[in-house]
Amino acid sequence: MAEKKISLMDTVKQASKGVISGIDKKDVEHWVEIYFLGKAYQVPAGLTIMQALEYAGYRLIRSCGCRAGFCGACSTVFRRKGEYKLQTAMACQTRVEDGMYLVQIPFSPAEKPLYDIEKEKYEASVFLKYFPEVARCVSCNTCTKACPQDLQVMDYVQAALKGDYKQVAELSFECIQCGLCAIRCPAEIVQYHVAQFGRRMYGKYGIPREENTEKRVKEIKNGEFNKKFEEIMSLSEEELRSVYTEQQNTREVY
Amino acid sequence: MKIPYFPGCTLKTTAKNFEISALEVSKVLDIELVELPKWNCCGTVTSLTDDDLMHHLAPIRDLIRVEEMNESGLVDNEYRVVALCTMCFNVLKRSNQRIKERPDEFKKLNDFMYLEKDYQGKTEVIHYMELLRDLDFSKVSEKVKNPLKGLKVSPYYGCLMLRPKEVGIDDPESPTIQADLLGAIGADVIDNPFKTRCCGSYQTVRDKYTVAELAYDIITRARKNGAEMITSSCPLCLFNLADRQKEVMELHPEFEPMPVLYFTQLMALAFGLDEKYFGFEDNFIDPRPLLREKGLLK
Amino acid sequence: MAELEFVGGYPTYMRESIKKVEQTRNRRIGKLVDQMTPKEREDILNLCHPDYAPGGKRELKIGPNKGDIVPNEVADLLEAYPLVNPDKIDLSVVDYDTDILIIGGGLAGTSAALLANDNGIPADRILLTNKLRHGDANSMMAQGGTQAADRPNDSPVLHYIDAMGGGHFTNKPDVLRALVEDAPGVIKWLEELGALFDKDENGNFVELTGGGTARRRMHACADYTGMEELRVIRDEFRNRKIPVLEFFPAIELLTDEENKVVGAILWNMETDEYKIVRAKATVLATGGFGRLHIRGFPTTNHYGATYDGPVMAYRTGARLRDADTVQYHPTGAAYPQQIIGLLLTEKLRTSGAQPVNKDGEEFVFPLEPRDVEAASFIRECYIRENGVKTPTGMKGIWLDTPLIDILNGPGATEKAFPAMVRMFQRFGIDMIKDPVLVFPTLHYQNGGIETDPEGSTNIKGLFVAGEISGGVHGKNRLMGNSTLDCMVFGRRAGVHSAEYVKKGVDVGQPGLKHVKKYVDELKSAKIETDRKSPLLLPDYRGKAALARGIDIF
Repeated sequence: MAEKKISLMDTVKQASKGVISGIDKKDVEHWVEIYFLGKAYQVPAGLTIMQALEYAGYRLIRSCGCRAGFCGACSTVFRRKGEYKLQTAMACQTRVEDGMYLVQIPFSPAEKPLYDIEKEKYEASVFLKYFPEVARCVSCNTCTKACPQDLQVMDYVQAALKGDYKQVAELSFECIQCGLCAIRCPAEIVQYHVAQFGRRMYGKYGIPREENTEKRVKEIKNGEFNKKFEEIMSLSEEELRSVYTEQQNTREVY
Repeated sequence: MKIPYFPGCTLKTTAKNFEISALEVSKVLDIELVELPKWNCCGTVTSLTDDDLMHHLAPIRDLIRVEEMNESGLVDNEYRVVALCTMCFNVLKRSNQRIKERPDEFKKLNDFMYLEKDYQGKTEVIHYMELLRDLDFSKVSEKVKNPLKGLKVSPYYGCLMLRPKEVGIDDPESPTIQADLLGAIGADVIDNPFKTRCCGSYQTVRDKYTVAELAYDIITRARKNGAEMITSSCPLCLFNLADRQKEVMELHPEFEPMPVLYFTQLMALAFGLDEKYFGFEDNFIDPRPLLREKGLLK
Repeated sequence: MAELEFVGGYPTYMRESIKKVEQTRNRRIGKLVDQMTPKEREDILNLCHPDYAPGGKRELKIGPNKGDIVPNEVADLLEAYPLVNPDKIDLSVVDYDTDILIIGGGLAGTSAALLANDNGIPADRILLTNKLRHGDANSMMAQGGTQAADRPNDSPVLHYIDAMGGGHFTNKPDVLRALVEDAPGVIKWLEELGALFDKDENGNFVELTGGGTARRRMHACADYTGMEELRVIRDEFRNRKIPVLEFFPAIELLTDEENKVVGAILWNMETDEYKIVRAKATVLATGGFGRLHIRGFPTTNHYGATYDGPVMAYRTGARLRDADTVQYHPTGAAYPQQIIGLLLTEKLRTSGAQPVNKDGEEFVFPLEPRDVEAASFIRECYIRENGVKTPTGMKGIWLDTPLIDILNGPGATEKAFPAMVRMFQRFGIDMIKDPVLVFPTLHYQNGGIETDPEGSTNIKGLFVAGEISGGVHGKNRLMGNSTLDCMVFGRRAGVHSAEYVKKGVDVGQPGLKHVKKYVDELKSAKIETDRKSPLLLPDYRGKAALARGIDIF
């Protein structure tokens, strides 16, 4: 049984070989050629741009964060072979294609205005107070085309212009702040900062609060659970176990 | 009737009282103003540039929306879009005309907006006052429950409703449309020779005292003829005539404030609607004391 | 191997198995396998959970936890030599003098900064340093939710009992109590800052259960919970103009003659220059260790999760607790290759998705605590041989995600899991129509540097918060308690480090005496290795490129 267990773990380790360390050339069957900063590299087909760059020998410092599409670190701009249009993508979520011609943009030099949402009124004009450049939006839709999350960026910028906090929040919720919209915008709007402000204002002023939470905070502060805690914390492990098992039996259906 | 309606940014932010009164007044006249489901800022001044095609994207997108509304059944064979804000009206109408005169630019814009359906050129832009005039002002009179007798109102037109000639909805030198409308709701209409004089427009941002002087002239001339109130259809004109009265009083301490309203606010009052549709609390110079004095408001 | 044909993102041979899943779906709706008994749970863990299988751990030979068992990869880093040479480095010039140095800017570090600022430390007397960007942290990727017992049929006591049970009764009682009692306050704090939680039209939270929780108390922001929470508190942090450094990891802590922690050596990853920070208090919030790929598992963690904090703290004499336990999340993506190991939140199962094997048969209750659930998936794949093999050799079982829309109405999956739907779509898979393949993935560091309810450690001047700490979750963490841990103890560390500073701290000469002592211990224990730590970043460079590399610069 012991041998089986050890080989079990080794088998598992073998199965994930390609993702826990560098890829070995002999394990690769299909190849493509990509150009990074103009240099050609032969890389395994089917890898993400990020994995392909690492295969080519780049130890990533910038342009690498969560590796899962959430953090916006690996913003990439590329052209496909034979095409003139610039495409945008996140390197960790996009597969390489033969002839791909790419560069990464690890940073967007965007200023963020400073505000204290405690002190702001929930009014339309506040958007223009902190983001006057929003009025420069020409509705060219370049930001929407640049967004790797397929968000309707122009629409939420226009919503900001109209003071519609709810729409800004709803349309921009999945923004990973990768900066590609801001880099491309001809009106120098920093869309993701506008969106962050809109979301916070909506979350704070536009949605009612649940009273239970407020109530519970007060109850805890008043020590209403102290006695119960003292009881529970004085139980032996045996007793605690049986309390736990009983409690699990009363679990709410999920 | 159902007609596509373009509000514009200001009617959603600093000129909410214009929209609130207009929507309700329209209901009384059996007009349903169907807001464009998705619209963007018309672009105001920048959309009037002649040498930068990019700035025409914004108004043309809005015109595409009108065509889409017909396709999706939100409106039935209605390609007119009505604007309340005179600046939005002017910008949309001029962009529409311009693009039809320049087929290569028309194509370029459509190609650039490859994510949108092509603009077919079917949309027609009208001003709300035109809509009422076509309906006939007598129909407006029929709905008046509280005629504004004794209220001496002077209509102010400004520039964009009348100029350039291709866009204007009335004679640029001697317009009468707003006067006729005010007459239809029972007000005592007072003419103002400065009714088509420019209010100063965006100069208000850099040079408010020049604008204040213009406002002083316009209002004083109206007052000389007996006016107690001015109406307008443009949020910028209204701002320059009303909100700048603060600066007017700095320059001319003897100046007495005069209320400036959106014409739809007076219509709402005349139709006897609920107070919440008047929006008087947002007017810089509160009209209510005057209106109460005239017995028109409780 | 013949060329593979793909349909809907899956090769045709995997489609065969999907057909079987579709065939059994109707009879499986609403019918779940029974929960395991405590004995059954214990048995399966011993059978095939990677933490319990022998060969993965060894005894530590040095340091405060000498003799304790830890995973090999962890021991390799603890029993390694420092990056700096204590005899050669010049510590005389202090580059940053501050009151509170916070190392790591995830939910925990950022919360600590905000609360320290709230409690009397001026913004310019706080310094937050990040190895990558501010926000590059495991927190950003948390999906499922944050637990807080705010409903009338629930209480912090119930939350406490749930977490104790899930932690196999090894949690530190007073620390756990702090966690559950602070929880509703954390939710309130986030609401005031403007975080957007899932709510109904009346403003009431939409709360679900999680594995091992007896009540619905998971507060979520679609499947972007961590991202939303961190974005909001990071925005607040930026508004306060608290100084922040990026791409500047700490590579060693500094101690004075009394062995108080008085700062750290930071290293500019892009210019190789080091900087000395002298601080009255130091908060370590460096997160997890997924990139160590313990036992060869893929991971859900971000690029920088390399156990840096505990390595540096251990050298000062800080004690570890429960460092032997590793949490494997049962549902990491197993296909396609590009997303192997990435997190597929537990909320999928709470919303109705069922784990089934290659024949479409259910084999386990979907919401056992994570370690039990993970072990049962491993058993299904590798002992019962009922898993599906992918073209790259990974084995996995199906998570029947189409059940989510079936049970909750069309559009439910898209609404609750927009990030995940998008992620699969990018690779041609529609998770609303087809099941997805999952396998356990290395997820969380259950233990770490031992903490107390105030976030302090056994070393004066050293505070910890978040995943780096040990004692909150015992030997196994429940879903929704990690983001909570980060914020509760981030806040507490902020408050208490501020109090510590305000009382007056006599900062002695910053030095590396503790490191010299540690090196001596390594030598006495006959640890001969060229391993150095902290690791800072994993290395995924292609073997071919590495084999031809010349280190010139």
